[in-house]
Amino acid sequence: MPTESGRPSAPPAPSLDSVTTIRADGSKVVLHPADVAGRFARWRRVVGWALIAVFACLPWIRAGGFPAVFLDLATRRFHLFGSTLAAQDLWLLFFLISGFGFSLYVVTALFGRIWCGWACPQTVFLELVYRRIERWIDGDAVARRRLESAPWTASKVGRRALKHAGFAAVSLLIPHLFLAYFVSLSGLWSMMRASPAGHWGAFAFVAASAAVLYFNFAWFREQLCIVLCPYGRLQSVLIDDQSLVIGYDSVRGEPRARRHRAGDAAAPRAGDCIDCHRCVAVCPTGIDIRQGLQIECIACAACVDACDEVMDRVRKPRGLVRYDSLSGLAGRPTRWLRPRTAVYALLLAIGAVVAAAAFSTVRPATAGVTRMVGAAYFYDAATVRNQFFLRLVNKLDKPQRLEVALRGGTPGAALTGFGAPVEIAPMGEEVRPLVVAVPRAGYAGPFRFTVVVRDAGRTFELRRDAEFLGPDPDLLREEAADAGARR
Amino acid sequence: MSEQPPRPEQGPEDALRPHTFDGIGEYDKRLPNWWLWTLYLTIAFAFVYWFYYFTTRVGPDDQTRITREISRIETAKLASIGSLTDEALWKMSRNTAFVEAGRATFNANCVTCHLASLRGKDENPGAVGASLIGTKWIYGGKPVEIVGTVTKGTPRGMPPWGPVLGTRRITEVVAYVLSYHEPGEPVEIVASAVAGMK
Repeated sequence: MPTESGRPSAPPAPSLDSVTTIRADGSKVVLHPADVAGRFARWRRVVGWALIAVFACLPWIRAGGFPAVFLDLATRRFHLFGSTLAAQDLWLLFFLISGFGFSLYVVTALFGRIWCGWACPQTVFLELVYRRIERWIDGDAVARRRLESAPWTASKVGRRALKHAGFAAVSLLIPHLFLAYFVSLSGLWSMMRASPAGHWGAFAFVAASAAVLYFNFAWFREQLCIVLCPYGRLQSVLIDDQSLVIGYDSVRGEPRARRHRAGDAAAPRAGDCIDCHRCVAVCPTGIDIRQGLQIECIACAACVDACDEVMDRVRKPRGLVRYDSLSGLAGRPTRWLRPRTAVYALLLAIGAVVAAAAFSTVRPATAGVTRMVGAAYFYDAATVRNQFFLRLVNKLDKPQRLEVALRGGTPGAALTGFGAPVEIAPMGEEVRPLVVAVPRAGYAGPFRFTVVVRDAGRTFELRRDAEFLGPDPDLLREEAADAGARR
Repeated sequence: MSEQPPRPEQGPEDALRPHTFDGIGEYDKRLPNWWLWTLYLTIAFAFVYWFYYFTTRVGPDDQTRITREISRIETAKLASIGSLTDEALWKMSRNTAFVEAGRATFNANCVTCHLASLRGKDENPGAVGASLIGTKWIYGGKPVEIVGTVTKGTPRGMPPWGPVLGTRRITEVVAYVLSYHEPGEPVEIVASAVAGMK
């Protein structure tokens, strides 16, 4: 079905009843948002390029002998800004994820979908990279729309090929950089020069990611935000009347009138909106912000810049479309402090404190004590003994000497096999048998003890509790008495 | 200025679905074509998958794949153990590289019970393990038998080292122990390596 205007390339008029970018026949509309300049556009460009710079530079920056962020899945060592975590520290991920969750709650309750418009990789890469390539090659919105409905001439084919080559190049670059976070730049470089057969997994990951990114940024675009993104849906239920959103001041703007000028006697009762449709023309999701807060709005502030520019030109105050709460747009004050924000902030604070405490327990080595398979205990004429494996993991990239000692337990309980410190290679892992023996005469039943692991410099100490198991001491005495009687 | 003249908002030309929740109704809109295509593709994939794995059984089922993988591992294991003969182990025990590798493994693991001198209870009655020096053996003194003892463990408390060390390191450590012995020396099987102890 053609659009109402009869021009196949023009989007349908935005309405609250349907998604602008999906036509009634189910086909997708290609949006051509107009250029926009202004303070928010400028600041979003600064923030966006700063984020891209962080993403692109982190693998190159080194800290503590490793890239600043190096999630080495192959050896299960996770290097973060100079400190190293092992697979055993994976439980800390809980705090990272819940921290993201609580931060999302607080930020959304206060500032609405600020993430979507300013920091989401979808928005940042789309607006600052892919749409810029499109703008350089295809021209402004009018030219792009004209080109879309133009016949397939050699010039159009050439432009399209050039544009999609650019899209493909960026789509390949992004997953390569992303992979560097997991295999380091040198690992990436050696993989790139080797045949894919040597690293099928990584090759398939990059190829599939590049294909998905290309599809997303070349064609899918705003559909991701509108239909796929669970984060956008979640935010919709976290926003209330006091959250910061981008809205149209209908009290000031209505009734809208075209060609309205300040002091125009012909329209004394007209509102400030001159119905120029600039806010619709610049919208990257194809909505009309004047119809109110909508699920498609990613709060990118393009319409704010567009309207401010028009208001300047017609000499009206800026802010007809602005960042404000729904309450503020209705002329009431915005309450920043309310139960919702207080509870979310409290949860975030508690989470941050617990996370800080958890991270402070991370040591440069880990130790684990597990009982050997087989019988739980052994005894002979002299001793009762338990056998364990002690697993020591060195998380540093230099060798460590670890001292192992026993603490607590029945008097006389002793550890064998750890006279000298255990030397562990850089990033290495050692499994040693750990035998705890108690003189039979001093044995008085099962007890708990602690295995203490210290580095040679005594800068940290790891403690692992374990249980010493054994027979009923009375039975042991009876058996000894029987043996004595028989002799 | 604007390319589009202002138009009246679309009326609700689409039928309303019969349900409402909290007063919110839903139009019966057509789904996006891209969305429908992903649905059709998943349905097609389900049929291909079903046909491949369950109807024609061209693709192996999980049981077959596990059995195949286990038998591959078993074959590899047998191949490495099959080549282990008494003669081969004696030969290894005269090879410095093997013996040195075995010494490292021994000193990291076996010393706990058998002591660095390998003499165990002979040196110190409080030690856990039996002596590995001399001609008295509890669980068999032929090289292949020693490999079996180390791999499977003993009822008196030596754990099965097979899963911990693996075939190669066990072979090396046995070569290290054999370096304290001579081929052809007598083997005496005793109940306990220490005289007078049960």
